[in-house]
Amino acid sequence: MLTYLIISVILAVLPLVVRTERLTNIIAALFFLVQVVGIALVFYFDRVDTVLLSIFRADSMALLFHALMTAVLGFSLLHSSSYLKAEGISTRSYKAYYTLLMLLAVAITCVYYSDNIAMTWVFLELTTICSAGIIYHREFKQSLEATWKYVFVCSTGIAMAYLGILLLSTVATEGALDYASLKEAIVEGNPLYLKVAFLLMVVGYSCKMEIFPLYTVGVDANYAAPAPASAFISTALVNAGFLSIMRIYNLYASAGEVFVWARHLLILIGVLSLAVGAMFLRRANNYKRFLSYSTVENMGIVAIGLGIGGVALWAAVFHVVCHTFVKSSMFFHVGIMRHVYDSYSINRIGNYMNINRVGAIGFIVGTLVLLAFPPSPLFVSEIMIFSEIVTVGKWWLLILMLVLMCVVLYSIWSRSLRLSYHSNQDELHLTAVNRRLSYIASIPLVVAVVLGLWQPKFLTDMIDTIITDTPIVKAKTEVVEQNIVVFAEKQQPAVEHTAPNTSAVPVVEEPTENEDVNAENLE
Amino acid sequence: MILSLIILYVLTLIYLSMADRFRTHTMILALQGLLLFGLAIARMHEFHPVEMGFIIVETLVFKAIIIPIILIHVIRKTKINRITSSSSQFGSLVMSVVALVASCTITYYMHDDSTDIISFGVALYALLSGLILIVMRKRVFAHLVGFLVIENGVFLFSMAIGVELPMLINLAIMLDILISILVLGMFLRRMDNDMNTDESEALTSIKD
Repeated sequence: MLTYLIISVILAVLPLVVRTERLTNIIAALFFLVQVVGIALVFYFDRVDTVLLSIFRADSMALLFHALMTAVLGFSLLHSSSYLKAEGISTRSYKAYYTLLMLLAVAITCVYYSDNIAMTWVFLELTTICSAGIIYHREFKQSLEATWKYVFVCSTGIAMAYLGILLLSTVATEGALDYASLKEAIVEGNPLYLKVAFLLMVVGYSCKMEIFPLYTVGVDANYAAPAPASAFISTALVNAGFLSIMRIYNLYASAGEVFVWARHLLILIGVLSLAVGAMFLRRANNYKRFLSYSTVENMGIVAIGLGIGGVALWAAVFHVVCHTFVKSSMFFHVGIMRHVYDSYSINRIGNYMNINRVGAIGFIVGTLVLLAFPPSPLFVSEIMIFSEIVTVGKWWLLILMLVLMCVVLYSIWSRSLRLSYHSNQDELHLTAVNRRLSYIASIPLVVAVVLGLWQPKFLTDMIDTIITDTPIVKAKTEVVEQNIVVFAEKQQPAVEHTAPNTSAVPVVEEPTENEDVNAENLE
Repeated sequence: MILSLIILYVLTLIYLSMADRFRTHTMILALQGLLLFGLAIARMHEFHPVEMGFIIVETLVFKAIIIPIILIHVIRKTKINRITSSSSQFGSLVMSVVALVASCTITYYMHDDSTDIISFGVALYALLSGLILIVMRKRVFAHLVGFLVIENGVFLFSMAIGVELPMLINLAIMLDILISILVLGMFLRRMDNDMNTDESEALTSIKD
């Protein structure tokens, strides 16, 4: 791990000392190669679940998200080159951009592999600093505003998360803050402290995962950053936020009734994120902000999945994986679109189908996948979340989600059609289209569609491993707990029918009204 | 000894809500750094050279010297002097008193035997004071001060609940905060150069 980190950091800062853009591109390619080799070596030497440098652990969750980040990074580096050349920026800015993007990738990788709750915090704060340079890269007034807001809100939010970590560390034995030790110690914690700690940590990390309440800075950051970097920020960095919250979620799984409270909080945050996403998708007049609000909406669905638990937990992780491919592809398409129109304005630009047919078809297909039309993988995950909501009997949540998602569907679809078929609203200076880039931008989308039709075994196994870290919640009394388990086992065939790859999904954690009745009958 | 230092710390927070000159804000932050150093030393049960060295670096060097120097540098470069309107001072004083009462109430309900109730309450008050500065003041420099007040509050909080994180983690956290301050200071100067203002109202051009 140390070798990997040293090589990555050296390669990341190397563009600052070379002279040409060509050399910078070669270094970026080497950096990408190091990431691929790093992941391959962990698999080859079977180092999964080993502790590295006493603060990192190569578990399934870290490896899966590192692989996803590397995939997006490859496309991002490729698109950045043509994007920056089209912008006509100086060689110095070009090199600085690549350095910051690679440093951000290193910081995000450290977040993924961190096995210590405080070190996760440290690396998340580092991602803020690396992102700041990328957001400010275009150096216009709005980018300065976005950067200030991003750094300031993220720093303040993450300071709040640190407060949560301090509260949580009161349960730590001998100051051990690794997740495994905390998971054992959390059972003895003061419930009030644990609840406040969870609230503070989730609120703090919400600026990274782009969920309610601190989602705004992420939206502004994506708006100001160059499009290929936005693709990276709204997927790899958002995944870092998700992973940090997921690790805390796994920690709290052994915290009894506090875990039930934490899951209710996640449902609330998820619904609010979905509502905010739906509301602002109607108002957004910029394609990048529009896609960012779509991220808020999707992460809201993920938070609801975490809150519901059971099969929905599996679906939430799968949703994040697929969202990474879909959203990065959409941002790359939007970046190409900017080459053509020199604008992101929804109301101004149009007629894209006649200007760049490949790009327009890619964007429309991306929209359909984003809206979870079959064979979208998001359809699979959303159906699984809905089925679990029905299983636990939260009909109000299902209705609320469906209403909000109808608003989302209308907003996204109408804007996508506007880009392709409406005429331009005023005089635009159109430039030549790079169709090769449009084809490349569609590759992640194709991967997503394939995942919708067929989920490879290694992926489902990895997600199974990730979610089996979350044990069954201990019920208040032993009798009730036994009855719930018996009931859940009886329900298992029905769950498997909906989700064939969820053999390792933990059983329903929370006793619902129906379960209570069945538990009584069983007794 | 500890009680007098804590009372002094509370007074700095109240004074901070009324102060209108940014140099005063910076001096108060430096004083808070000194008070935190005194509190950390007073709480040490036995002498550990490494621990002592780290406390000196974190409180005296970092909070009482380096950060105030960075802030003074930003004040000089941007030529900002004081907060713009006096009405926000009275408002923030009232809010500060409300925050003090709220902190006492929350502490009363939240504390348990393992926590130092007074430090816990004051740390909470510091956090709320920082948030009030960020919300009530218009100039972004005051927001930066608010952020630092929150960071000092977090430090006091860690003392209140008696958490001792490993040295490496403490060091990483300290460096992270230092870099954040440097980055924020840099962008504040950039804002002053490019936008000729450091009013938060100027930061509203990004909207839907």
